[in-house]
Amino acid sequence: MGLLDIQNLSVSYDGKSILSDFNFSILKGEKILIKGNSGIGKSTLFRMIMGFGKYNSGEIYLEGVPVDADNIWDIRKKVAYVSQDTDIAEGKVSDLIDEVFSFKANRNNNGKSDLEKLLNRLSLSPDLVNKEYMKLSGGEKQRVVLVLALLSGKDIFLLDEVTSELDTGLKQKVVDIFFDNPQWTVLAISHDREWETKAMKVIDFSGRVN
Amino acid sequence: MVTYDISLEGMFFSFFLLIIPVLISYYLDLKLISSTLESALRMVLQLLLVGVFLTFVFDLNNPVLNIVWVLVMVFVASHTVLKNAELKTQNLLPLLTIFMAVTNYTMLLYFNKFIIDLTDLFDARYFIPIAGMVLGNSLKANVIGMDNFCNEIQRNENRYLFRLSMGAEKIEALVPYLRKSIRVALKPTIANMATIGIVFLPGMMTGQILAGASPLVAIKYQIAIMLAIYVTTMVNVLLGVFVLIYRGFDEYGMFKKEMLRSS
Repeated sequence: MGLLDIQNLSVSYDGKSILSDFNFSILKGEKILIKGNSGIGKSTLFRMIMGFGKYNSGEIYLEGVPVDADNIWDIRKKVAYVSQDTDIAEGKVSDLIDEVFSFKANRNNNGKSDLEKLLNRLSLSPDLVNKEYMKLSGGEKQRVVLVLALLSGKDIFLLDEVTSELDTGLKQKVVDIFFDNPQWTVLAISHDREWETKAMKVIDFSGRVN
Repeated sequence: MVTYDISLEGMFFSFFLLIIPVLISYYLDLKLISSTLESALRMVLQLLLVGVFLTFVFDLNNPVLNIVWVLVMVFVASHTVLKNAELKTQNLLPLLTIFMAVTNYTMLLYFNKFIIDLTDLFDARYFIPIAGMVLGNSLKANVIGMDNFCNEIQRNENRYLFRLSMGAEKIEALVPYLRKSIRVALKPTIANMATIGIVFLPGMMTGQILAGASPLVAIKYQIAIMLAIYVTTMVNVLLGVFVLIYRGFDEYGMFKKEMLRSS
């Protein structure tokens, strides 16, 4: 059994099949890229793992534990999911960071001490935290969300198009950060070739017939 | 001082005013003619019935009957809140009714005991009209609050999901929505309180003055009732959103869209 196992997963919305009989497994430490045209269920897969939607049939296991109503709240505390939607907050960046670290699950997390180091590594200035989040550029928002995911102390990452708005140099930096840690398990959806070159495995959704 | 009765002719003139909204609605195609007339008709029938009923209730002045009547008011108010916030009633109505009943009875008893110092706390002449004013205002605010909460959670679902992904408990992830709905819902009441007396003379004060009370007594009542309204409204909105938080999400913490009337 892998770290994450998906068996015969089928999802459909309004009668339209998004995923059918999908099987997948990832081992601890593996870095896998999922690619393919949009609208063919890549993001849906992540949402199912996080319990953000209902599937019709099949099973999802994380560390052998079924992803169901009883376990989902613990699973969300173990998995760092970064969605492609970066419209996640109002107010200052520092308020956003404080809010995330005020959650019960994160109160004992001292990852915040790495904040400045990470901002720097992703070419963000330290006074960015005093800016309004909504006024940041797309690329800055993506990096702020990534910083939060990296500070979370989790070691399983579901990354959905997290480098789409970054320039080539930054894309490479982000990819390197995730690949450099052998303990981390990474499942990334992306159209960027920086991910494809380094990925241990590439799953192409385009060839799938739903 | 005698309050002038309104003659039948006078009532006719009051209905005559409805021509204006009907014409505006017709020319601007607002599609409000039938609902305007329907609401006006409902108002007339309800007030007629209530007029007869209240004469009876006031004459009898039986505490049990007064308490039951307020419960009916609370029930209708809760139902109206859910209907206007575009929510289905089956799951939410019992809990909302209980919550609103508790806050309103508590406020009424407090008001009658500590503020007016009545000997008969359930005296119909105080218990029922004050319940009506407090409830009427809570109702408006609750519609805004619950409607806002449901809209925001759908429009900004990604923000909620983001917080859940960051390890938040359901309630932690929902606090920002709760905060926003309460603020939005209370705005009209706060504005009301700040402009009272200058911009508009509230109904109760007008009523008391028309009935011959001295403006000073009317003012004291008005101040007390505004404060009671504000407090009850805030607690009711808070509880209304709590009902949504408690009943409106499935075991995965996802918003139940099937609660909405439009689904």
